[in-house]
Amino acid sequence: MYSRDISRRDPGCVVFLLDRSDSMRQNWGNSRETMAEGAARALNETLLELLFTSQGEPGKARHYFDVGIFGYGLRPVAGGEGVEPAFGGKLAGQPLVALPDLRDNPIAVRETPSVDAGAPPSRVPVWVEPVYGHRTPMCQAVAVAGAHVYEWASAHPDSFPPIIINITDGMVTDSPYEGAGLEEWAQRLVNIQTSDGPALLFNIFLSPAGSANPVMFPATDRGLPAPGPDLFRISSLLPPPMVASAQSAGIPVEPGARGFGFNADAYNLVRFLEVGTKVDVRD
Amino acid sequence: MQIQVVTFSEVKDGNAADEWQDGASGGVAGDGTGTARFIVVDGATGAFDAVRWVDQLVTSFVPPPGADHAGPRPPGLEPAAMRAWFARMQDQWAADVPAFDSIIEERKFREVGSFATFLGFEITGLDGPDPFWRAVALGDTVLFHVRAGRLIATFPPMRAGEFGSHPAGLHTLPSSLDEMTDRLLAGGGVLADGDFLFAATDAMADWILRAAERDEAKVFHTLAELAHPDVFARLVEDQRKEQDGAKRMKNDDVTLMRLRMLADQPSFLLACR
Repeated sequence: MYSRDISRRDPGCVVFLLDRSDSMRQNWGNSRETMAEGAARALNETLLELLFTSQGEPGKARHYFDVGIFGYGLRPVAGGEGVEPAFGGKLAGQPLVALPDLRDNPIAVRETPSVDAGAPPSRVPVWVEPVYGHRTPMCQAVAVAGAHVYEWASAHPDSFPPIIINITDGMVTDSPYEGAGLEEWAQRLVNIQTSDGPALLFNIFLSPAGSANPVMFPATDRGLPAPGPDLFRISSLLPPPMVASAQSAGIPVEPGARGFGFNADAYNLVRFLEVGTKVDVRD
Repeated sequence: MQIQVVTFSEVKDGNAADEWQDGASGGVAGDGTGTARFIVVDGATGAFDAVRWVDQLVTSFVPPPGADHAGPRPPGLEPAAMRAWFARMQDQWAADVPAFDSIIEERKFREVGSFATFLGFEITGLDGPDPFWRAVALGDTVLFHVRAGRLIATFPPMRAGEFGSHPAGLHTLPSSLDEMTDRLLAGGGVLADGDFLFAATDAMADWILRAAERDEAKVFHTLAELAHPDVFARLVEDQRKEQDGAKRMKNDDVTLMRLRMLADQPSFLLACR
């Protein structure tokens, strides 16, 4: 299981569930960013990294991944509370987008100060904007994304299994949803599989306190306050390629580690997303 | 002593022929020393424009016949000379800025760049009693020295199963220069009449090592007898389909350069198109 390389013949699928509830308006640790801004920035960086893997030859991107982002909480397009695809611009409303389309359709390219003194500003493509409002309909997010993941897995039976990464700062507010609680919705999601194994569900919980005791890829939920144990329980075991990826990033990983992070600051969110989306690409 | 050289290659199954990202070349250096030098490189899948980087490395390390001899000379194999060559290759890459069609392309060129594993080697003393090979390497492109069907040297000294996704290699980013210099390996050996040298990129090298663990005489006999690109293509195709995962060849670009040491002229010449 989890041994397939990503290729154009058997592309991968990465879906992000992005909490856009009202609590994401809080400042993140000591930074001047809100959690919504920090999460959007980390997601845009992760999309850029995925695009780097696909940008081999000049002038074209290889279709290595289909990518989805589902915001839950405020729906900026439809209005009100719920779930909707979070891409903006020409990609608005699309549940899953092939990397070449993502490459060609950022909402904007913005300049940000370079981290290197004296270096020119860095030009950053943007696909997702920070928004927040309403409560946290996480069950509905898993349900809506799951329907698209199921369709994708049916169309790609021999691919590396779909990866779903849930970024949240809050407690689920819609459980039970359509008769099922969060744990059952999560179980339905990871029941989706390809010939290479079940879908992977990872969860990362953001803390407005920033780096207050962050926990990355734990093997136990011991000592975690709510909603840590619930999110730990629905998180998949970290498969061997990602264990290796975490270890090469200097993150200690014990046997039984799960794709789960708790009390993450901006730095740890980026590292979590890097590990969770790192799969070998072969052609 | 004569050297009979042939290079076989196969693109990864599913890819177009022009997506082959390995490179190989060799020949007698045009400096009058009679030294022959060779290079085999493997451009990384995730790299930016690996085809261009590989081409730049190959043509610099082994200038093609008719190349401008007023240009920089190919590097020596000593660590200081190799470091200077690495830096020159990086400068040349950075100076030749392509036209970008997206911000993603531009940022990948500047921040990620390109990457290839590297094996370079020379054969000297062909007219003397003890011709020998000297090699330098970064990464998992491997040179096998075979005598009478037995593997007598593997350079770099890799074992089956050690071929991972993140080997050392030649990188375009100047920030990697020190690491490349530190990780450069050197080796060598004395050659005899009838010896073979095989230089292979990672998928082929891993397959050779695993096959040699089972029956080294058989695998090197097979490779020594390859007489046509179609035969090589069939070998690769069959091994990629092997049902036994322990024997299967990874689906990747494959390059095999074979050098046969001959005391006499070969008895016949086969030309393949």
